[in-house]
Amino acid sequence: MPELGRAALAVCLGLAVYAVVAGGFAAATRRRRLARSAQNALLAAFIASLGAAAVLLGALLRKDFSFVYVADHTSLQLPKQYTVSAFWGGQEGSLLLWLVILTGFGAAAVALNRRVETAVLAWVVPVLGLVTTFFAFMLVVVSSPFDTQPAPADGAGLNPSLQNPYMMIHPPFLYLGFVGLTIPFAFAMGALLARRTDERWIVATRRWTLFAWTALGIGQLLGAHWAYVEVGWGGYYAWDPVENAALMPWLVATAFLHSVMIQEKRGMLKVWNMLLVVLAFCLALFGTFLTRSGVVSSIHSFTQSPLGPWFLGFICLVTICSLALVFSRLPLLRAKTRLESLVSREATFLYNNLLLVALCLTILWGVAFPILSDAVGRGQITVSAPYYNFFLRVFGLPLLLLMGIGPLVAWRRASLRSLGRSFAWPAGIALATGILLLALGAGSSWVGLVAYTFSAFVLGSIGYEFARGTRARRALAGGSWSSAFAELVARNRRRYGGYVVHAAIVLLAIGVTGSSAYDSVKTQKLKPGQTMAIGDYRLTYRALVKHEGANATEYRALLDVRRRGHFLETLASGKNSYRAEQQVSNEVGIRSDYLTGEDLFVITDQINRNGSVDFKVLVKPLVNLIWLSGVLFLGGSLIALWPSAAEQRRLTARYRELRAPARA
Amino acid sequence: MTTVALLLGALLAAACALYVALPFLREPAPAEDRLDQPGTLERRQLELAEERDRALAALKELEFDHRTGKVSDDDYRELVGPLRRRAAEALRALELRAESREERVRAAG
Amino acid sequence: MARSQSPARLVIALSVAAALAVFLLYVSVAGGTPSVQPSQLRSHHGDVALVGKVVGKATGDAHGDGLRFRLRDVSGSASVPIVYRGSVPDLFRTGREVRLEGRLQNGVFVAKPDSLRTKCPSKYTPAKRS
Repeated sequence: MPELGRAALAVCLGLAVYAVVAGGFAAATRRRRLARSAQNALLAAFIASLGAAAVLLGALLRKDFSFVYVADHTSLQLPKQYTVSAFWGGQEGSLLLWLVILTGFGAAAVALNRRVETAVLAWVVPVLGLVTTFFAFMLVVVSSPFDTQPAPADGAGLNPSLQNPYMMIHPPFLYLGFVGLTIPFAFAMGALLARRTDERWIVATRRWTLFAWTALGIGQLLGAHWAYVEVGWGGYYAWDPVENAALMPWLVATAFLHSVMIQEKRGMLKVWNMLLVVLAFCLALFGTFLTRSGVVSSIHSFTQSPLGPWFLGFICLVTICSLALVFSRLPLLRAKTRLESLVSREATFLYNNLLLVALCLTILWGVAFPILSDAVGRGQITVSAPYYNFFLRVFGLPLLLLMGIGPLVAWRRASLRSLGRSFAWPAGIALATGILLLALGAGSSWVGLVAYTFSAFVLGSIGYEFARGTRARRALAGGSWSSAFAELVARNRRRYGGYVVHAAIVLLAIGVTGSSAYDSVKTQKLKPGQTMAIGDYRLTYRALVKHEGANATEYRALLDVRRRGHFLETLASGKNSYRAEQQVSNEVGIRSDYLTGEDLFVITDQINRNGSVDFKVLVKPLVNLIWLSGVLFLGGSLIALWPSAAEQRRLTARYRELRAPARA
Repeated sequence: MTTVALLLGALLAAACALYVALPFLREPAPAEDRLDQPGTLERRQLELAEERDRALAALKELEFDHRTGKVSDDDYRELVGPLRRRAAEALRALELRAESREERVRAAG
Repeated sequence: MARSQSPARLVIALSVAAALAVFLLYVSVAGGTPSVQPSQLRSHHGDVALVGKVVGKATGDAHGDGLRFRLRDVSGSASVPIVYRGSVPDLFRTGREVRLEGRLQNGVFVAKPDSLRTKCPSKYTPAKRS
């Protein structure tokens, strides 16, 4: 069976190369049948990669240890769902997942656009083919999942820290996001190659970008939650290079989502958008490279693999070629309109873009710094949380404020008087909130206070927008408030879906602020019967219990939690000792208060021989807002993503006009 | 096992090759093989159509913003004039194109 | 309007300048910590991030008098005694690669509390069974 897998990958590689060569030739010489044939090659490449994936999946489910990959990442006792997730638990398998998603998206993009957009598609095909060629080549030549060996008795098993439900969803979501960014990139390059100056490529890829961006966002939230509950150090983001690897393209994609709106509405920022989409794609590739090359040390660190230099080479190739292409088409991309006022929605989008890109670049510098300093011979100098937190505040707080300002400002030009009127309510709410919080003691962290006040402003402005939109709709069309509200959102899906997403980001900001600026930590050694106090809580260590689980010995310290005299619950916090893998993992005890969003986080640091236990307890206010924001984020994105019949009609009408015979 | 695998692999390769060759097999001798690509004229038409749609959408958004109160009456009066003019220009430009196309079609045959 | 250049360009230029200024300010005030191995400790004074492999048995209580162990170059023989107080990550054990911050004092590396980090054993190559 491995031969079938290898054959399928080879076929995929051949098809990808054909797509590049034939597709490029067809586009340059305008041959219809050849272009169609190249499109078919991309569609077939998807089938071939699916075949390879099926072979690997089958081998995993059969626990066929003659496959080196299966033996390395599963074992006889591994539960079925983790056997499936072992598909992307290793280097070769995750590359194959990339290929499957890439060819799948490529096939979908071709299928959806082949009737309407033949000219640009002719150039999109070779670009997609090129990226597919790279990944297929890696899988066929450099790092194959289908290497075989004489089958050992049992496999090496999956790292225990990967044996949880998160492993089943976190990587796939991230890959959907990374790979998804290839499509807007391919269409942008295709439009440039075809010398097109209209906005068609943006409209065609708008939903792809939104989808990829949403997937990347959800994937990161899942990763943060995983780190919070499973790794259990009390935090959810460590500015690890691999975490940053997903954050950077997400930030650039956020900027891109906003600036394409300017290009669509005003025809400006064409060059900027090209650069952004290239940057987003290159960062997605770079992120993939970071997680596989061991170039930067991180807790996700994988081995120094042979993949590194290949990836780096490909990223350089893509960067140089795309920039050269953009440069050569510069005259075509000249804007016909200009920014009319520094106080307009266009301007706020521009500021938002600058801040997002600045934040992304500072993170990139922080990630690359150890590599660069090593290269100049000064050894790996690392930057850590203080660096990142500083810039997160410097760029993030203004961004937060802008989220509230943007919706209130009109396009083109906003007079100060109309601004004043729009700002009145939200600013009032923010001021009142700020004063109230100050009275409640939030002044202990001025950054936190500012963040909270800004958040109140944004929420106020979003609420205000919804309110006056609904009122205007009702004045126009009558009906009840709720029907007017539903109509409003349905007719302006992008705008109001976007507002919901903004609200989600604000919730995220509030959750992050509360759990980092206003948290408390305490470490104490307790003997059974002793109590420790933190904030309003009193924890009494009762007993240590031991339980022999399926593959681990579980130690749990039981603590009674009381708050202001009332008994809340008995928390269990401890460690698991995995017999086969000879590893110990932290199993934290978390008590979530759903009314206040606060978490009581208990880590069993050390179990001592004399029966005492060293505990580290954290109180994290509002942290559950972070996870709630994910739900709202998804909802808002779905609203914005939802296809609109009116928009479709307008687009097809425009194209029908082109071919329309003379009017009667 | 290996022979089955190799056979399936060969089958896959053959099927893909067939699918790729399909456009040539379906039309061995077509009337024309030009890739449908908008010429300069058509591209200009697309741009104009986009201009028109953009101007109309901007008008619509201005109306909506005015109704919701984001744009004051004074601002509205200032902005609506140029926007309406732009939309009218774009519509006129498209009409002129359509008329000249009609003439060309009539002249040709 | 006789403006020869769009204000957008001015905005971008000013922002880039502002960002660079902020950045340079930060770097000059703070700056990263050099990452060194035990053999390089002698030439570094002040706070460093020490990376190396744990050798020998770890004794003592990290939550009491201090956990004591020796750290060796990843691929070398130079080693240094370590004293550490604070949380010990689960993955800590003899033979694992770790990182801590602190400084050399009287021949012993005194670590900053809670700064011990372990490197995850490589996920993408499995632990080979002996």
